[in-house]
Amino acid sequence: MLWYALHLPLLSLEAFCAADEAADGGVALLEAQRIGAVDAAAAGAGVRPGMKRATALALLPGLRLGQADARRDARALQAVAHAALAFTPSVTLEGPPGRPDTVLLEVQASLRLFGGAESLLQRLQAALQPLGHRVRVAAAPTALGAALLARWREGFAEGRHLEGAAPAQLAALQALLGELPLGLLASADGQLQALQGMGLHRLADLRALPRDGLARRFGQALLDELDRACGTRPDPRRWVELPARFETRLELQARADHVEQLLPAAAWLLARLAAWAQGRQSRVAAYTLHMLHEPRHRDDPGTPAVTLLRVELAEPAADAAQLQMLLRERLGRCRLPAPTLELRLVCRELQRRAPPNQELFPTRQSEQEGLARLLERLRARLGDAQVQRLEAKADHRPERSVVLHALAAAPMVEGPAGRGLPGPPDRNGHASAMDPLPLARPAWLLPEPQPLAEQGQQPQLDGSPLRLLSGPERIESGWWDGALVVRDYFIAAAADQSLVWIYRSRLGTGADGAHWFLQGRFG
Amino acid sequence: MQISPCISAAGPGPTLAAPPDLLLAPERVHPALWRAHQLGGQREASWASGFEALDAELPGQGWPGRALTELLLPHPGVGELRLLAPVLAAVQRAGRGVMLFDPPARPCAWTLAALGLDWRQLVLVQGRGGDAQSPPRPVAGRAGAGGRGLDLLWALEQALASGHAGAVLAWLPQRLPADALRRLQLAAQAHDGPAFLVREPQARQRPSASPLRLWLQPAGPDELWLLPFKRRGPPAAQPVRLALAPVLAAPARARALRTTAERAAPVAAGASV
Repeated sequence: MLWYALHLPLLSLEAFCAADEAADGGVALLEAQRIGAVDAAAAGAGVRPGMKRATALALLPGLRLGQADARRDARALQAVAHAALAFTPSVTLEGPPGRPDTVLLEVQASLRLFGGAESLLQRLQAALQPLGHRVRVAAAPTALGAALLARWREGFAEGRHLEGAAPAQLAALQALLGELPLGLLASADGQLQALQGMGLHRLADLRALPRDGLARRFGQALLDELDRACGTRPDPRRWVELPARFETRLELQARADHVEQLLPAAAWLLARLAAWAQGRQSRVAAYTLHMLHEPRHRDDPGTPAVTLLRVELAEPAADAAQLQMLLRERLGRCRLPAPTLELRLVCRELQRRAPPNQELFPTRQSEQEGLARLLERLRARLGDAQVQRLEAKADHRPERSVVLHALAAAPMVEGPAGRGLPGPPDRNGHASAMDPLPLARPAWLLPEPQPLAEQGQQPQLDGSPLRLLSGPERIESGWWDGALVVRDYFIAAAADQSLVWIYRSRLGTGADGAHWFLQGRFG
Repeated sequence: MQISPCISAAGPGPTLAAPPDLLLAPERVHPALWRAHQLGGQREASWASGFEALDAELPGQGWPGRALTELLLPHPGVGELRLLAPVLAAVQRAGRGVMLFDPPARPCAWTLAALGLDWRQLVLVQGRGGDAQSPPRPVAGRAGAGGRGLDLLWALEQALASGHAGAVLAWLPQRLPADALRRLQLAAQAHDGPAFLVREPQARQRPSASPLRLWLQPAGPDELWLLPFKRRGPPAAQPVRLALAPVLAAPARARALRTTAERAAPVAAGASV
């Protein structure tokens, strides 16, 4: 067994200050009117846990105080556990009852897959990095042992006590744990003074005492914890399970009037989302960002209490940086109807897919993925309707023979199999460029025919007459769907000898009495 | 280093004995060197244009990759798609996509198919909103480079810089921010396919960062004048006349040439039908 412990010493402070860039003036959290967690700046000014609020403010007038919130901490820790689940299915939480602050992973079975302990540790730290927590890592053959080492101090990640056979490892761990101060044991919490009064300061002191007397005096729990840490007693654990639906929320530090102010907080939520998706070995296909507005503005009937922003990805992604970039473009087009106080992120659309292979040289596959990612960015910034593809329709009416569609979320490049429509000339490729048959249709089609001025029955374009060169080609179609077209088409040359496609309507005239219309240009 | 013999050999003073073949062919010293009367070489791969007469006039014997190519047209519909169709089709055959930015009108999928292009693999990016609603005339609708125009330039730069778009064909707004072309040219260095910018002919007087600039003018029915007035090498004195894929059948074409030659009254023969 090889356990990694990820201890987050500043969990509650980091969860409170998440996405707050200007956290420099000292922060402390209040727990039942007393100071709880304190950051380095505040501690430097002399603020200590257990002080009263007024004392702390007297010491450091600029101190920012927040309420401790165990559920907020739990959400942040959950994200770390999700990120860890990408590396092993055996992940569990550890810490004082009700307030876990350590994530434990059993990684023995994953070592081979990830190429050894060192490479696994590197990848683990890379996966945790976007979550923005300070993490102390320790490795040990027992779960509790790893947790205690991580909580004690830094420098146990490489695990020098992990060398050799399993019994030797355990003996090395026990020797190391003997140095630990007793205050780290959860079950010694209320009895620390009594223990220290008896001259017991380190775990080794406890282990040297007779067991039954120790159990009588301080309870069986202390002894059990000691045994579990040293690996002489089994330590059954409850594994963390990933929810099928992801939901997390974050209260903003200050109300946000512009979307730019939402970006850091949203990026934080997305990092959690990515951790969850990676834990499920899947990719995010769509998610919804809820922006909860200030209640005061709800008096105005036009202001919604919450704004929803749904983001769908053409190419499902599990990369926090890419998700953040896409959201930045989406939010850039969005306007907030009222100041926002809280963000909530909900996702239930996942796509199971193997992670992409890392390739040294570009391949067709990576090209396609890169193109899909590019189009995703363009769609996010310009709008879904602005990125289009063509479709040829079997219709004689030029206006209806070609349709522009918004590029759907479907894969863009299809196979060459058309549906009875002219595909590209395949094998003898550019033969059609030398095709003796003329191109009877112009390359540019105007979406709406443009009425032409005329002079003595002669159509004119830009003030000069058009010479009819070829035609007429009669197109008479569409009586069945109410868009009847009865036209004679000609190819004509404009004054500068460029070719245009014009028609004379045989059914009445245009809005301003025109008979002749410009349909397209031969580009 | 190796260049110095060439320079001193050109000077009037006592010349260093430079190997004569290096003087005659400086491109063998470095591909970015060429003699003033020669066409420059193309360090990167170039894409054959499909027209031999044109390839002979282009540095590197084709449309350059990793660089912008500017085409100045009086208006859309002078034959530009027929000119570019061979290279775009070649890009598509190489398995790469072709992206059109802000096309002036709706491209006809049937024509593109007849020109050898796979319209299913085309991506159109509209910068102005919706379908191209304005008529394809240089004066209408293209003047403003407001937010939409900037969005288009952003999208174009992203596409070029990503290097994943096979070929890019963009219709630029008339008013460009001062640094727009330089930014695009920098981004194009990551783009190994051809990149074409279509602009108005008045842009010929304005400086541009594009290494290759051509001026286009219809030369007759299904024919095109093409003048590479900026290229790596001497500016071309004479425009090239290219025969495009024909729109007109042979009799109509003969009729068109006859009426042009006779400078006949603009009553075309076909009108009598």
